[in-house]
Amino acid sequence: MTRQLTDRPRAVVEAKSAPTPRARWSARTRRDFFVFLALALPNLLLIAVFTYLPLFNNIYYSTLDWTLGSASATVVGFENYVTFFTSPDAAEVLGTTAVFTLVTVGGSMILGLLVALALNSRIRGTTFARSAVFAPYVLSGVGVGLVWLFIFDPGYGVLAWLLRGIGQQSPQWINDPQLSLVMVIIVYVWKNLGYCAVVYLAGLQSLPQDVMEAASLDGANGFRRFLSMSLPLLSPTTFFLLITTMLSSLQAFDLIRIMTPLGNGTSTLIYEAYLQAFGAFNRAGYSAAISVILFAILLIITLLQLRFVERKVHYS
Amino acid sequence: MSTLSPVSPDPAANAGPASAADSAADAGPEVPQQRHKPFSRANLTQTIAGGYLPLVLATLVVFLPLLWMVLSSFKQPGEIITMDLRILPESLNFENYNTAMTTVPFAQFFANSLIVTGVGATIKVLLAILTAYALVFVRFPFKNAIFVLILVALMVPPQVSILPNYILIAGMGGKNTLWGIILPGLGTAFGTFLLRQHFMTLPASILESAEIDGAGHWRRLWRIVVPVSGPSIATVALVVVVSEWNDYIWPLIITDRPETMTLPVGLTLLQNSESNGAGWGILMAGAVLVIVPILLVFAALQRYIVAGLTQGSVTG
Amino acid sequence: MALNLDRRHFLGLAGAGAGAAALSACGGPSTTGTTAGAGAADIDFSGVKPAASIDFWTNHPGKSQDVEKAIIEKFHAKYPEIKVNLITAGANYEEIAQKFQTSQAAKSALPGLVVLSDVWWFRYFTNGNIISLDSLIKQLDIKVDDFQKSLVADYKYADKQWALPYGRSTPLFYYNKDHFKAAGLPDRAPKTWQEFGEWAPKLKASSGTQYAYIYPALAGYAGWTLQNILWGWGGSWSNEWTMNCDSAESVAALQWAQDSIYKDKWAGVSSKEAADDFAAGITSTTISSTGSLLGVLKSAKFNVGVGYLPGGPKAESGVCPTGGAGLGIPSGVSKEVQLAAATFLKFMTEPENTAAFSAATGYMPTRTSADMGAVLAKTPQIKTAMDQLAVTRVQDNARVFLPGADQEMAKAAAAILTQQGDVKATMAGLKTTLEGIYTKDVKPKLKS
Repeated sequence: MTRQLTDRPRAVVEAKSAPTPRARWSARTRRDFFVFLALALPNLLLIAVFTYLPLFNNIYYSTLDWTLGSASATVVGFENYVTFFTSPDAAEVLGTTAVFTLVTVGGSMILGLLVALALNSRIRGTTFARSAVFAPYVLSGVGVGLVWLFIFDPGYGVLAWLLRGIGQQSPQWINDPQLSLVMVIIVYVWKNLGYCAVVYLAGLQSLPQDVMEAASLDGANGFRRFLSMSLPLLSPTTFFLLITTMLSSLQAFDLIRIMTPLGNGTSTLIYEAYLQAFGAFNRAGYSAAISVILFAILLIITLLQLRFVERKVHYS
Repeated sequence: MSTLSPVSPDPAANAGPASAADSAADAGPEVPQQRHKPFSRANLTQTIAGGYLPLVLATLVVFLPLLWMVLSSFKQPGEIITMDLRILPESLNFENYNTAMTTVPFAQFFANSLIVTGVGATIKVLLAILTAYALVFVRFPFKNAIFVLILVALMVPPQVSILPNYILIAGMGGKNTLWGIILPGLGTAFGTFLLRQHFMTLPASILESAEIDGAGHWRRLWRIVVPVSGPSIATVALVVVVSEWNDYIWPLIITDRPETMTLPVGLTLLQNSESNGAGWGILMAGAVLVIVPILLVFAALQRYIVAGLTQGSVTG
Repeated sequence: MALNLDRRHFLGLAGAGAGAAALSACGGPSTTGTTAGAGAADIDFSGVKPAASIDFWTNHPGKSQDVEKAIIEKFHAKYPEIKVNLITAGANYEEIAQKFQTSQAAKSALPGLVVLSDVWWFRYFTNGNIISLDSLIKQLDIKVDDFQKSLVADYKYADKQWALPYGRSTPLFYYNKDHFKAAGLPDRAPKTWQEFGEWAPKLKASSGTQYAYIYPALAGYAGWTLQNILWGWGGSWSNEWTMNCDSAESVAALQWAQDSIYKDKWAGVSSKEAADDFAAGITSTTISSTGSLLGVLKSAKFNVGVGYLPGGPKAESGVCPTGGAGLGIPSGVSKEVQLAAATFLKFMTEPENTAAFSAATGYMPTRTSADMGAVLAKTPQIKTAMDQLAVTRVQDNARVFLPGADQEMAKAAAAILTQQGDVKATMAGLKTTLEGIYTKDVKPKLKS
């Protein structure tokens, strides 16, 4: 199957999707019109009802002073947004979000690249190792969170036990907000670096053969040669990973929910939005405003990706 | 028209990494090392240090926590709440599994998760195939705008939709029902996006010849497009299965009865009823029950991953 | 051509947006009506027939699932016409509240009877989510006078009764008798924290445990148990609606707590559940809810002693808060369901059932006439909890009436007790936060 695909002619189906000239309403166009609706409409409707409708609902809620559980609310316009940006919460939440996103994205990409380089060597067992490092990516965040919570447990965790072995006390992973953030970041990187590794591996293996020689780390100047030659060629892969991992880091939820339910030190935008509505505060309107801000950030990142792709196409 | 390529903006190169990765992985073990004599001592050391060591390290980092989970799932409270930790459990005692299954109806959760994942994932993959085919091969006005809307839907964090969707689904009587869990997630922006990217790279010629032969859209879709898109569809299937199986926040909100809870929700229910140090063993048993099935599915589908992942983006 | 995000498409998007915005106005809260609920008129239940089936939402406080099941079975035997569905609606009080509030938003699938904790019932009241029980108490002849007075008074506001006590607890001082004996200490809880300060080094030296005392996990209810130390030093989280958590007394109290960890190094902070750490022998003493008593007695492999909470330099007595959960009836269900729920509520809180509940969990019997003889013969330690009730103090408004205040207090405690943050500055920050919550979320609703 894969072989077949490899050898196929690489034509782009440009003609098919090119906009038709203002053609007459021919029988074929009309048939296609209904075929399209029959094929795509169910999915599009579902997306409209369960993604777009909630999104617009949310934008509407964000203009309300509404306590979750209360049957009535007051329209307050942009007050929720003003409150968020003028409160100390904003600095804390945006700061936590920035730290979490930057460290998880940077961490999983750098480690992912290193693992990809190791996987790229032509030795036995890479196929197995490749699947192994990717495996955590498919596991339940709830399950993984619990397993790691047990490992980190300062009382009975295996980490505390190892530390006791060298005469150290376990850090307060659970109680100390800063360490909680470190803990969640470690687990998140563990879960996601396999994804980066696999995508980087694909990038590496698409490089021309002579560059790949340089990319393999043996030789005295291997690493420097890798930095100067291979890395720039990998920049499309790097950029793709940057965007996708950033989007998923910004939406990371399950691990934070399971490992640090109070969100003390780990309250990123998405978790803060959850806590404000469903945690102790029940400020549904305020929470909606925070989710709208998050959505805006996600949208901007995506648009940046589109712009980048566009430019690259024009220049190449 | 650009294909929004993740790895490289050049459509020709887009097909490259996947195939290269696969062929390298397939051929890897057989290809003899050219640069060094295979058994020279320098080469051996180098292979171990530069090749195997990182691989083994990466694999261990992934597997040790999971191994710890499995080992702990056989441990009794006395073996966990102790300062004197032993790696191996005293015996292969299934007591924790038994307790986990009887404290909360785990078998029921398991069945629910199977149904939700099976039904949800099947429909989602189907919808993704149909929509992507329509977007690429069927004439329709505003296809680009529709595609942009699908892209933007990818940016809506699922937590944003919780409250509005809850109001909608509960209003339809979907609380504590399996369809209530499945329905809001059925529309698939991600699968559509990924498959569209793949379909764009299919050679126009085979489809055109089929069209000349008089094959309609339906035939073209199932006889030509789907058969040559195995890896991409498998990737979509894997990602969809994984996200359905692991989905946590929505089932948590929409169910409160064990009869309709899914595994991740049930796992947190277990966390509740055994929320103490003694309960870790039982929790780990629960985590094994949640994590192992998806690992098996992954093992079955993993060989498609590199091929599929690099043809589109994964944000979920 | 790249993705064509030109003006035409944006207009299309905007059009779709406008349409959806119009649609979206259908769901969610009403923005036109006046705030209902708070202080609503009594409901007349005369002539109402109880519903055939109600849902009872609980988190099984104190691992009470089995005893709850047993009481429901007894209820079914006595009232075969009303079926009670026992529903685990969350892992803790917060998760129950989350479900309850979300269901309110959807105006559907509400329970007949719901467990509500000390920090949640007031919010339900201000939101108009629960009904006052007065007319039901009268109609069903629920003997309110027979309840522990202070426990019933906790749910009184605006001259109405909004809930009745259920799994009610106080914190208890737990100590390892064996450790105390080995250290040559008297077999009792310390009278004051100063006294314990003298004992602690001896305890640590002789027992060799990690800690002489462990503070309850912050993610639990730090705001609850820390009131003990605050009050002992003459401080508090708040006085009525005045937030005074940064007063000199409060700061001195928490400074002392911080010193016990960082300077004197005999105390630690639990990560999960102090009662388990105590039972596992990590620490010689701790403070935990009476609801943990039975669990501790079952799992500890040493002699467990319990006593009153220690006092401080300013107050030796009256330094113990009450806490735990009550039962309330939602306003969003039919009269029939409400009546059926009240019937079950009455049954659940009858003397023999509250005694059974107490025996299974360690929670206090809520009725003065409950026959605790058999229970106390088996678990004499419950007596301490019951006696301590006489010297309890009503919790600070800030903790129980301000939404989210408990979490903010836990955060402040984390800064002080695990990050060695400056006490004065942390408390000043907390004060600002609490005042913000009061002004934004509580004050406007009290006026209506």
